[in-house]
Amino acid sequence: MINTVLIAYDGSQQAERAYDFGLDMVSRYGAQVIVLSVARPPEPPVNVELQAVLESATEHYQELFAKLKAKAAACKVDPRFEVRVGHPAEQIVHFAEEWGVDVIVMGHRGGSFLQRWLLGSVAKRVLSHAHCTVVVVR
Amino acid sequence: MTETWFLATLWLGLALLATLLSIWLRIATALSEIVVGTVAQLIIGAVISSSILGAHEPWIKFLAGTGAIILTFLAGAELDPDVFKVKWKEATALGIAGFVAPFLGCAALAHYVLGWDARASWLAGVALSTTSVAVVYAVMLETGLNTTTYGKVVLAGCFINDLGTVLALGLIFAPFTMRTLIFVGASVVVFAVLPYLTPRFFKKYGNRPSELETKFLLLCLFGMGALAGWADSEAVLPAYLIGMVLAGTVGKDHVLIRRLRTVTFGLLTPFYFIRAGSLVSVPALIAGYGIFLILLLGKMASKFLAVYPVTKVYKSPGKEGMYTTLLMSTGLTFGSISALFGLSHNIIDTAQYSFLIAAVVGSAVVPTLIANAFYLPRHLLHSPEEEQVSARKTAGRTFPVKEGESI
Repeated sequence: MINTVLIAYDGSQQAERAYDFGLDMVSRYGAQVIVLSVARPPEPPVNVELQAVLESATEHYQELFAKLKAKAAACKVDPRFEVRVGHPAEQIVHFAEEWGVDVIVMGHRGGSFLQRWLLGSVAKRVLSHAHCTVVVVR
Repeated sequence: MTETWFLATLWLGLALLATLLSIWLRIATALSEIVVGTVAQLIIGAVISSSILGAHEPWIKFLAGTGAIILTFLAGAELDPDVFKVKWKEATALGIAGFVAPFLGCAALAHYVLGWDARASWLAGVALSTTSVAVVYAVMLETGLNTTTYGKVVLAGCFINDLGTVLALGLIFAPFTMRTLIFVGASVVVFAVLPYLTPRFFKKYGNRPSELETKFLLLCLFGMGALAGWADSEAVLPAYLIGMVLAGTVGKDHVLIRRLRTVTFGLLTPFYFIRAGSLVSVPALIAGYGIFLILLLGKMASKFLAVYPVTKVYKSPGKEGMYTTLLMSTGLTFGSISALFGLSHNIIDTAQYSFLIAAVVGSAVVPTLIANAFYLPRHLLHSPEEEQVSARKTAGRTFPVKEGESI
């Protein structure tokens, strides 16, 4: 039974596809949907810049969430929107665990070698550590 | 003026390149600027001439110095005064431990192992004693500990740690003369008056296009910086303290802070960090890479000895305590400011400066990489031993997304 679906959203095209997929899924199952975005600090976080980055990310997601809300309303779905700070994979996994999510829906960005080396593939890490079903939309 | 415009174009070009690199690699802009400055000086020096970058031009020194002063002020202004009201004694103990252990440890290492003279060794201790408030704050946000007593104590401790660094930098190398007394006396008066005067002054004359607030703050920062310089101290000392005393008033004015950040990141700090990087001697660094490693390990080991027991006292779970400890070993901003102070005051030579900058950059990168490789994301996953702390983690973990509100 699917009661809660978590859609990981970062504003990318892949995330848009994941969002559409997730909306379709929740409208079929009548499940609750939570959209989670993660504000990522630079590596390593530096005084003053960190606060600026977090504020900028929050504003960025506020704008995106307004559009997502309109899209969801058309499907008669009322998502909950959340922003967390940290590494995307760990925050997605931890959030899903904390909220007892049944399915995580996310896109797959690829990313450069350096990004994967520094952070690891987000989708791969979520797949490895999530307690629930993970759908990676391509 | 033509030469100046050409030079400014070169520096802003490097700043833009550093920013693009920081975006592509998702690394801190300051880190990227230091590396770009070092590489640019190496390449331009080898191909054309080492004087092309003009790192010793007075106007570049001025912009770089202003960048360091405003950056330090903004760092001080990020302090949450309410944090100190809760458990200030514990925070002070942690901050002093976090400062004293690496300060004395690295100074002893530089003096007895590396054979540096006394002043250079003290400078090494100061440069490697810092803790990045930003790194620890990010960890606290990630783990949700920012709202807990443990998180508040650690965060407040970081401010005390950096205050120790700035005080040491400003006072250890200043000859104790009548000028020092005048500087200290004037500082006490200014720091006492500013929190009272500033909000009232801004309320009466502020919020106009003429940017009175910025001019007033710059006047205070430059005035106290000049007084500090006159007393053979360091301008960032009053800047950090002014930031701290105004944190509860000016620091909460997000619009003003944002305007200051724009001018700081857009123009000033690139000059500061690129200049700091350009003064690094890569050949000296390669020839003495062992020294850099000794300093880096000295900083990490001494921080570990001081901080890890404190995380245990507060019953932080093993992995989380180690994660916090590792990330408290970082410190880019004040570390580079201290090293540059030493070089510009002839306390250390170019080779020693290069080792210190490399150790400071290394201390920003290495602990982060170790923490990410071995403590992420597992440190957030629940295990039986962590069940008891999961409840206190939950509070304040998510951030409301409301119009105009920031994290």
